[in-house]
Amino acid sequence: MASSAASSAAPSAPLDTAPACPLRVGTSGYAYLEWSDAGFYPPGTPAREMLALYARQFSVTELNYTWYQMPRAGAMERMLPKVPADFGFAAKLTRTMTHEIDPHGWRGKAVQFRDGIAPLMQAGRLLSVLIQLPPTFERNAANRLYLAHLLDALAGLPLAVEFRHRTWGVAPVFDELQRRRVTLVAVDAPDLPYLFPTLDVVTNPDLFYIRFHGRNARGWRSGNMQKQFDYLYSSDELQQWSRTIIPKMAARAHSGIAFFNNHVRAQAPLNAKMLMAELCTRSSGRALH
Amino acid sequence: MDRNIIHINVADFAVAVERRLDRRLTGRPVIIAPEGAARAVVYDMSEEAYRAGVRKGMPLARAGRLCRDLVIRPPQPARYEQAMADLLRHALPYSPRIEPGDRDGHLFVDVTGTSRLFGPAVDVARRLHRQAWKELGLDPIWSLAANKLIAKVASRLVKPRGDYIVPPGDEAAFLAPLPVWLVPGIEGPDLIRLRELNLTRVHQIVGLGAARLAVALGRPAAEIDAALRGIDTSPVLAVDQAAPRVALDHTFGTDVHTLPVMESRLHILVATAGRRLRQQGRVARRLAVAADYSDGRRCVRQVRLEPPTANDLALFPAARRALHLAVSRRTRVRHLRLICDRLVFPPAQLPLFAEERQAVLRQNRLITAMDKIRDRFGGQAVRMGSAWAG
Repeated sequence: MASSAASSAAPSAPLDTAPACPLRVGTSGYAYLEWSDAGFYPPGTPAREMLALYARQFSVTELNYTWYQMPRAGAMERMLPKVPADFGFAAKLTRTMTHEIDPHGWRGKAVQFRDGIAPLMQAGRLLSVLIQLPPTFERNAANRLYLAHLLDALAGLPLAVEFRHRTWGVAPVFDELQRRRVTLVAVDAPDLPYLFPTLDVVTNPDLFYIRFHGRNARGWRSGNMQKQFDYLYSSDELQQWSRTIIPKMAARAHSGIAFFNNHVRAQAPLNAKMLMAELCTRSSGRALH
Repeated sequence: MDRNIIHINVADFAVAVERRLDRRLTGRPVIIAPEGAARAVVYDMSEEAYRAGVRKGMPLARAGRLCRDLVIRPPQPARYEQAMADLLRHALPYSPRIEPGDRDGHLFVDVTGTSRLFGPAVDVARRLHRQAWKELGLDPIWSLAANKLIAKVASRLVKPRGDYIVPPGDEAAFLAPLPVWLVPGIEGPDLIRLRELNLTRVHQIVGLGAARLAVALGRPAAEIDAALRGIDTSPVLAVDQAAPRVALDHTFGTDVHTLPVMESRLHILVATAGRRLRQQGRVARRLAVAADYSDGRRCVRQVRLEPPTANDLALFPAARRALHLAVSRRTRVRHLRLICDRLVFPPAQLPLFAEERQAVLRQNRLITAMDKIRDRFGGQAVRMGSAWAG
């Protein structure tokens, strides 16, 4: 499995996937105790030390705990000294604005989120705020209105939207996101008919965003997260991205971020490194020619 | 390894249990009280009643004046026990280390090391909450932290509903800005003393250090200092493990109202408790007396045992003090309960000053002699004279 973090090389700089487009690759969350068992962290590493160790190998992470609980400025500030000066963060929007919406209180939550995430913004480290919408959030009049208001309330933050209901995969949605300079998240997920399709649409010239959920269709149907995200991408599967989709997206944006969400047994950091290696090979190959 | 302790807390538990049985009570001010009893008092109340000014222990008549459309329900201990059993049953699949409270709607679940089976602890907490709502009709507060103390404070912070996660390592920073009364284990006299010194926030008191805090409180304060820094190593007890305490009950044949009679019975309870503690090789740091009145009201008062002790000669004065505090009404008492808890191993050192040391040694010699007599001739073979009074 992955080698101990203590003995690994310095973090990779963002990769050049196209002449002027750096792509950062990381994982969705980093504080998994089972990653110690899998050898990514040294045995017995406490959760509070994991970010610093993670940042030795990757230059970006997606904060998923901000989905569970509103970020607090103090906690955000305390993270910054643990990582190098060029380390970036994406942060998931809190569930009270996506999955458990309080029709009367969500605006207050948006303000709280802004305040909580401010230290990362002010330090120039916030690469994106991920608005992940639930599978039941279909494209109807009420939800379209809510999403428009939510994007307004969070305007000014670097926003990205991950849809899970197929009805959102249409041109008028992409056009509106483009008008707002909001990133549409591209996903890699199991081949199931009700899931949002894999698209290479770039709606924001500042940033493209990819999330790899794994392709464990059987695990996905179980509803158990430990099964859903138990998957290891093969080299061939990653090459589908590195050879075609990523270069296409990179040609239309200044920068990109990609996160592996298949966290079970530390398969995510392993796949992240595989993709990075793939992209490096392609970059150096291009440089030679 | 960091621990992952989930605290599940159904606020206003008795009311919540009644509401799941009768949905018409939702949104209305509800109090739990024995309505028919003379001079009945409030046992528990809903958030609506609380906001109207009703408090636990308030006379029912006064609560009625504060809240016109009050709904009153009698206490139903069997229902609360059943609801606790239901909560426990739902938590059991996730960990054997579950510590329920006493019919009060809260429990601790230690899910340390279970992430490979059940996923991240925060997902377990959310699942427990969802199950409690869907299957039991209860909406508990939940919190997640690296120890029980922080989890409990976090729950108190978000009351009456919500959730809170304190990441490992953030304990001290989490507590620092909070008012000190939120921290469990810091009791009335200490809070009063701290307020007199204008020390109301955790960061103000932590800044003093343990030594100066001890001077301020007039007693050893290492434990309080550790608590205010967010340190708590107490385990979540396994569900089949008895709580480390000695609890003894006595129900009077006829309800009594004279203290000498109650003291005489208390002597016997203390003698039994002391003997059990000594047999376990433990001493108690706290003693409580609960008096159940004939009108259904219960009054519990506790005293600190300093130094910790298992010696009847030291336990009884404390028990007597607690009894006098608990029995402050003219209503007859039906039942007494004696609890010795916060058990620790006996301290290795004797008191520093010679006179105190001699007194402790004399007490120890006497009680050891009594234990030997009882071992040989039975538990009733010898008693203190005061136990025969009344």
